[in-house]
This record gives sequence, C-alpha cells and structure tokens, in this order.
Amino acid sequence: MSSTAVRGLVAALLADEGGGWPAAVPDRVGRLLASMPAPARHGFTAAAAAVDACATARTGRRLARLTPAERETVLTRLAGLPGAAALLDVVKVPVLLAAGTERMLHAGAAAPPPAAPEDPPLDCVPSAHWPDRSRADAVVIGSGASGAVAARTLARAGLRVLVLEEGRRHSTAEFGRRAPLDRFAELYRDGGATVALGAPPLLIPTGRAVGGTTVVNSGTCYRTPDHVLARWRSRSGLHDLADATAFGARLDEVERMLRVAVQPLDVLGRNGTLALAGARELGWRAGPLRRNAPGCRGSCQCVVGCPAGAKQSVQLSVLPEACAAGARIVTEASVRRILTEPDRPGGPVACGVAVRRPDGTELEILSPLVVVAAGALQSPLLLRRSGLGRHPRIGRNLAVHPATSVAGRFAEPVDDGGPAVLQSAGVEELHGDGILIEATAPPPGMGSFVLPGVGRELRYELEQSGRLATFGAMIADRPGGRVLGRERGVLRYDLHPRDARRLLRSVRAMGELLLAAGAEEVLTGVPAAPGARTLVELDAILADVTVRRLHLSAFHPTGTVALGADAATAPAHPDGRLRGVRGVYVADASGLPSCPEVNPQLSIMAVALTVAQAAGASVSG
Amino acid sequence: MSAAERATVFAETMTGTVRLRGEDADRPIRADLTVRCGTLMLPHRTTPARATGRVRIAGRADDTRAAGTLEISPLARRRIHYRITFSLDGRPCVLEGWKSIGLRRPLASLTVLPFTLTREGSPDPVGTGVLRFRTTTALGPFLASMRFPRRDEARAAWAPRSTGTPGRTEVWYTTATDPATGTGLWLHHEVVTPAGSGSPYAHGWAAVFPGKGADPVVHARFGPVPWPPEPSGGFTAAGVEAVPGRLRGTAGPLSWDLTEECGDDGPLYTFPRWSWRRPLLPAAQIVPSPRAHYTGVVRHGPDRLELRRAPGASARIYGHGNARRWAWLHADLGGGDVLEVVAAVSMRPGLDRLPPLVFLRLRKDGRVWPRGGLRSAIGWAGRGRFRADLGLPEWTVTGRAGRRRVTVRVTQHADRTLELGYTDPDGSPATCRNSETADARVVLERRGRGGWRTEAEWTLDGTAHAEVGDR
Repeated sequence: MSSTAVRGLVAALLADEGGGWPAAVPDRVGRLLASMPAPARHGFTAAAAAVDACATARTGRRLARLTPAERETVLTRLAGLPGAAALLDVVKVPVLLAAGTERMLHAGAAAPPPAAPEDPPLDCVPSAHWPDRSRADAVVIGSGASGAVAARTLARAGLRVLVLEEGRRHSTAEFGRRAPLDRFAELYRDGGATVALGAPPLLIPTGRAVGGTTVVNSGTCYRTPDHVLARWRSRSGLHDLADATAFGARLDEVERMLRVAVQPLDVLGRNGTLALAGARELGWRAGPLRRNAPGCRGSCQCVVGCPAGAKQSVQLSVLPEACAAGARIVTEASVRRILTEPDRPGGPVACGVAVRRPDGTELEILSPLVVVAAGALQSPLLLRRSGLGRHPRIGRNLAVHPATSVAGRFAEPVDDGGPAVLQSAGVEELHGDGILIEATAPPPGMGSFVLPGVGRELRYELEQSGRLATFGAMIADRPGGRVLGRERGVLRYDLHPRDARRLLRSVRAMGELLLAAGAEEVLTGVPAAPGARTLVELDAILADVTVRRLHLSAFHPTGTVALGADAATAPAHPDGRLRGVRGVYVADASGLPSCPEVNPQLSIMAVALTVAQAAGASVSG
Repeated sequence: MSAAERATVFAETMTGTVRLRGEDADRPIRADLTVRCGTLMLPHRTTPARATGRVRIAGRADDTRAAGTLEISPLARRRIHYRITFSLDGRPCVLEGWKSIGLRRPLASLTVLPFTLTREGSPDPVGTGVLRFRTTTALGPFLASMRFPRRDEARAAWAPRSTGTPGRTEVWYTTATDPATGTGLWLHHEVVTPAGSGSPYAHGWAAVFPGKGADPVVHARFGPVPWPPEPSGGFTAAGVEAVPGRLRGTAGPLSWDLTEECGDDGPLYTFPRWSWRRPLLPAAQIVPSPRAHYTGVVRHGPDRLELRRAPGASARIYGHGNARRWAWLHADLGGGDVLEVVAAVSMRPGLDRLPPLVFLRLRKDGRVWPRGGLRSAIGWAGRGRFRADLGLPEWTVTGRAGRRRVTVRVTQHADRTLELGYTDPDGSPATCRNSETADARVVLERRGRGGWRTEAEWTLDGTAHAEVGDR
C-alpha cells in the first residue's frame, strides 16, 4: 500500500481526475518500489514527500487532497524550477512503468498469451531443498550466458557440475500468465534499479533468474567484431583465446546452440520497418538484426521474458543440454564466498563455495573447481568477499555500453497492436565510430526513453504513445567504471568526454533517421527541449544540451576481472585462471578485456566456452 | 617435545537428528568417535586424523565399527571435515559433513556438524541431518579424553634392545592364522646373552599348527649362531630375518617369506609403557603390530601354505628370562579389537610367592582398557587385581576395572599344542606349551543401573594364540 504522498504525486503526474486506470497506479508503484533497493525506495519516497510538502506550503493542503486542476498548477510551477524538473524526471520513471502496465491492462491491449510451449527439462533444485553439505566436481556460479556454457562444457567432460543461481526458475508458461511489470520486478536485480554513480548516473539493468540476463535481453546476437579480437590479441595478449579462426569456430558453435538467424521481416513490426525505411532514405547500412529467436511471434516482451518461448535464452537452449549431461542447478542460492585452502603447498587452492539461502541459512559445497560466472557487476564483489580480490585491477576496467533513446512521433500508429520485435533492426552506418543504433520498442515504461511533461501533458503523451517509434543507440566506451565494495556493491562510472560526444552524436543520428522515416516530431527526452520537428531544430537543441541532460542507461557490463597476459593489469590469466589462487576460473563477461562494441552475448559465450574447456582440461589432466 | 613427536587422541560424542530419504520425520542420531591424529593437533595447521567408533540412528543403524577420516583445520581452512563410513540397513553408508568455522558465531560453528548421508558410489543423498557437540554434557568427557601420546613407531619397537648386558633375553615373535585353512603360524626369534661370560647367541624356531588338529604340529629350530647382528633394525641371524615389514628364513624343512602390513593402531603395551623403556621389571612385553596382516608363503617340505593377508601380530620381549609360571594370549577379536594377556609368576625371590600377575590389555573401539598399565596386575595395592587360574588344557583370567569386568577362558587342546623347552640366560630350563590354534571365549560386561550387562562377547574357534609355561 503506497503512502498518501506517493498517491498524491502519482495523481498529479498522471493528471488523475478520478476513475479509470490511473487509480490503480499508486499501488502498482508501491509494489515496484518494494522490489527496489532501499536507497532507490527511500529516494522516491523522499521526493514524493518533498513534492507533497511544496503543495502543502503553497495551498495548505496535501497533494492528494487537491483538485486535479490545483495539482496541475502546483506541479507545473514546480517543473518550471531548474532543479525540480530533473528530480521530477527521475521520479517519473517508476510511475511511467506502472502507468504503462495499468493502461495496457485497462485497454485490454495485452493480447491473450500465446500457447506456451513446454520448456525443455531442467534439473533445478531450490536451495531450501539442497543439503547443507555436499560435493561436486565443479561449481559454476551463475546460470547466465557464460555459466550455462561452462556447465554444459564441463558436464559433457564427465564432471559432476552444480550450477548455483541466485534467482529462481521462470517458465515460459509463467511469462504468459503474468503482467510484464510483475515479471520485471522479479527478473531484474534490484527491481531493475541498479545505478552506476557518476555524472551523469547510468541505469544498468541486469537479470537475475535461471538463465541470467539472457532471459531479459533482446535476443540480439552480434559476432565479435574482428577489430575487437585484434585488440584483445595485441593489447591483452590473448593470442590463443582471441585467435580469429579459433574464436570464429566457437562463435559458430554458440550460434548453433542458440539457433541464431536473421530476424524475418514478417513479425518485425513498424518500429523496425521505420528504422529500415529511414536508413534506406539516408543510404545508411542497416538491416534486420540477427537474433536467437527462431519462430518469434512478435510478442515484444523480450525484456521481461519471452512469453512464446521463442527466444532461445540459455535456460531454454544451453542449460537443458547441460542438465542432460548431468549438471544440476541449485536455485535461489546466493554464493557468499569461494572457500579456499590457504595452507596448500604452492599457494591457496579453491575448494568450494559457501551459499546463502533466502531464509538466511547457509550451505556449503566442496568442489576442486570453481567457475565464476556471476557477471561483471557481481564477480568482483564475490572475489572480494572470498579474500581473492587483492589484485588491484579487480573491479576496475568496467566497460558498459552507455545508451540513450530517442522517440519519433508519427502520424500513423506505430504500435498497431500487431506483432512486433522488441529490438528488430540495426543501423550500422556509424558503427565504425563506435555508435550502434538499434530500433528498440520495449513494453510501456521499460525503455530508457522518458516521455516529456508532467500532468496533463504527460497524460497526453502517454495516451498517444502508440504513435511513437523508439530507437536506441549504444556507444563503444572507454572502460571508465569501477565496482566497489564487497556485499551489495557500489558502481561508479565516469563517462569519458569522447563517449559523451558520441552519445550526443548518436541522438542527432537517431533524430535524422526518424525524420527521414517520416516522423512529425523527434522527442529527445531532454526536459528543457523535448521536441524538434526538423533537423535544424534538433541541431539547435543539441547545441545547448550536455550529456548530463540526457536520460542514459547502460547495458552489457564487462571487464571487471579482465583476462590478460600481463600480471600487473589483468587479474586473470589468458586461459581464465584467476591469479593468486588455483582452481578458480573466470568465465563470464568480467573476463572480457575491453568493450566488445556489440551486443555481447555471443562473445561472452564464446569466451566462456574457451575458459570452460581449459578448466575441464585442468581437472581431467 | 616437538609437534612431530606427539600424536593427538580424543573422543568426541555428538548427537542430533537425521532425515532419511523417503521418511517424513527426523530420527535421533548419535556418533561416538575416537579420533587419532598422527601428529600434535595444532589449530593453525591442517591435521589429518582417523576416526573410529559407533554411529547410531534410532531404529535404522547401530554400527560399532564405524570408521573414517577427519581433516581438522579450524583456522587454516576454517573447517573440521568428517567422513565416516558406517552400516545403514546393513549396507555401507558415508556420513560426510564439516563444521564450518566462522568468527561471527565461533561456538556454534565449532559444535554444529551438518552432514549428508550417501551410499558409496552414488552422489544422491540418502539422508541429511545435523550433529551437535553438546557443550553441557560432552565438553567434559571430550577434554578428559584429550591425550597427546608420544608417537610410537612400530619400526622403532623392532630395533634390538640388547646392549651386551649379561643375563638378558630378547625375543621377536610373530603369530598368524591363515583365514583360508585355519592354520596357525609361530615364528620365534631370540637373542640370549648368557649370565656370566658367554657370548650372546641367536636362535629360534618356526612352527605350523594345522587347523583343528588335522595334522600334527610341525616345528623346526634354527641357530644358535653368534650375535650381534648385521644392522637391520630387527633380528637378522642364521639367514633368518625379522625386520619391520619382512619375515623370512629357513629352519630345517620349514622356510618362510612373508611381508607384514601392520595396521596404524600403534603398539600395544601389555606391560606398563615405562617398563619397556626402562627395564626395571624382570621382563616386559610389547606388541608393536597388534593387528598386522601377513602375506607370503610358508613351505614345509613339499607342502606349501599360501598366506594372503593372514591376521596376526608381532610382539617383542626383553628381560632377564622366563617366568616361573606364565600364560599368554593374543586374540584378534575382529573389527579392530584386540586382546593381549600375560599372566606370570616371577622368578625373583619374594615375588615368586605371589599369585600370577595379570597384564591384560583390551583395545576395543580404539581405546585401551584398563587404562592404567599396572591396574590389572596389582589393582589398588593388591585389591581389585585381576586373577588368573593357570592350567591346561584350560586357563582363565578374570578381572574388573571401573565399570567393566572381563572373563577370558582359553582352551589349548593337547593335539594342537606344541611343547618346547626354553633356556634362560642363566641356563635354567623351562617348558612352554604353545598353541596357535587355541580356542578362547571373552566376555566383557558393563555395570549399569540394572546390574551387569554383557557389553561384548567374543568366541575364537581355533584362532586364538596362547601359551602356558612352567618349570
């Protein structure tokens, strides 16, 4: 149940005049906040209380008791203040999330869930049912892209493999039954509110479920660019791992696992076809994306779990093969630390893991081989908790894909209720400059694009959001982030000036693309200058906008436990072995030496395949 | 005293509950373990240890021969790891778990042992549970049981003791029973330094006791030959060798070549430990390998006896000579338990008027009873001493110490008994009647609230090794 202040704020933001779908939004916001980390929750509550206090000071009554017109007046005046506008923009994010869902439910827009196919069998055991003490030949921490590949490789090598996953298993049928926002709160770590501190702050959503972030990614599959592999070879000394031929063969194998193919045009949706049309108009290189979703029905819900079971997230593709080879998955198992035996001749040796269950009790698993696949944001914390984080570069070198979104308003509905692919088309014209534009149309409120305005204006934009096409651009960055701490962790990311320029350039490029596709207006998401109807207007807006004014997200964190030949700069050996301890292998995105510059699922899985093969050979050898 | 010279022994009792597969309720479980570390247990080191004892699960298991290993590493690895094999429903089952030492809750982490039960070769658990070391009831006995004995190497006990002092006799003897045929074997190696001016000489004999008296006992002597020996760590003379791990030689038509695998239980001191180090008593006996196994061949003319891990023991005697009257029993009771009895009347003036002094050592479940080395012989100033009734074909020993009492009844059938003449260093003769296929019955009772109850009962049918001697 949400507080009076929150209810008042929601009513004011959405111009709630009583009745209709906005009435249910405050409660949904309350449930969403409950899944977020305490700082985000308290921040929102404090912001709501501050707005409520302003209303009380101005009118003598609390926001919830004002008439809709009075609320509109209060909020409009508040939005006119420089600092308050930015604050309201942040507060709008969860409200829009909840509002989008309620509006969709109210309109009955949620198409009846497609008949969910039966998921392939997985050998999942909740940690509550797993014994306190057990043994395995290999423990894989994390069941995402890398963990699944590692488990499959090691299990096929004949080892008894246990995969430990902090989240739980979600079935395709469950995705079909539940509203997107309900799934959102559970499928994402911190309710999707993981933030990297910096100027500007970045939202970095990561998944937490059996299948990891592959459950909630868009299914876009890019092969690692050759120039990235060349950089890994020359700068990090990964001559064997990043060998073009060998790595290409592994990418082939991964693509076979995931059944990667070019997305057919039949269910691409208007968002994607508009991007292709705009690119065609401009003569830019573009095309439908290669995806791991054979038989995609265009449910457009990739980021909250595919309800059709078409997207070959690893829990539908790789993990079943791992389980068929004997691997088992312990769910709701939060690995607290890697156990080591420091008194072994030759230095410390890993001997297992300590795991915490949801009820706070712990279990331990002894295993001579520990494969870290917890993701670039969690692996450094785990290593520090385990006393293995002494290398000065652990937690540093965090690379992400800073991203921003731009929307274009079209005369005709873009969301026509028909099938559409969430991330459908890629525009690679500027990829050489580190900018990759992808037509991305997430469910209401779940994108990084924030509708402009407050009150009636916001309500209007919300009602008209079916006419918006949304493009996103992600930037190949210079690693500038750090993962700090041991337990929950604090992310710090300083955007490099070059990357800031790239982001602004990407906004212009997306605007140009939208206008070329026939958009009436380009919505920049910048509160002070929300719309531009021509390229000249857009340039004028961008001339005054700094990157801090943009709504930024970041995806694909990598590089925090980088592999490399140089012991001074790389915490892990080129074959994945963590330096300073025996028996620990880093197989996940944290091992990537630098930004892969494309959606990284294939790259991560190919690296995991290489590392897991080396780990398996170390045990059997 | 360095850590390398000391071992660690302690007893630990833990109780708790276990949930077996297919059941919907917990069962009580109890583990009584005796833990032996080969070195001094130091908390900052990792100490491997062996554990023996009893594991009980109410209604499903009661195994007094549970055995396994521990890895004690409370600081270095922050773990005390238990792996105990016991019998559950008649099939071997492994109890594996570890106490995970944490600084947040040090007491709980030192006393709580979560475990998993698995069958050998199958990773699927057949049960899970938690054993707890109850500090209120178990800490006292645990601390009282803590011992840091010197490490007794069987190898060191084999080394010759003789320093050339006149009037000493020193014996290495080995007895074994072939489990396939029931045949008993006796190898006796002796060095005698005569009283007076004679030179030390070595001699001995071998004897084969066919099972259940199927054939007559065969024996043959070797030596005497001059001593001192070549440096070998044991007895080496007249082409006969009795050194740690190896027994071989020829005596008349008999020849033997055996390897010895001595268990890792450590020597059994039949007499007080100090009496072996400082020869203050007329003689002392020690069993360096109380539960050894012998593999090899014993030939008797055309006959050939193949031994394959034949259970037996090797013992040593050092002293002034044979007793006036004596009886000896070595009984391998199975399951790691062993009984050694020597009852003797000394030749010393004054002492020869006493009744036989009984030295009885029962190693059961890894612990030796009675605990005191002289307890069975002299009791409390004579009161409560163990009593022996020596004779043939039957002799008995009875005694009580603490809340236990024992009755040992040995039968040496005449047709399975070999009569041999001994010669003391002073030249006086003695007669020994030995049987390596004797019968024995041992009853161990424990006194509780309801009076005496039988704790254990063993019947050895032709597998006891016994001897009675007199003059």
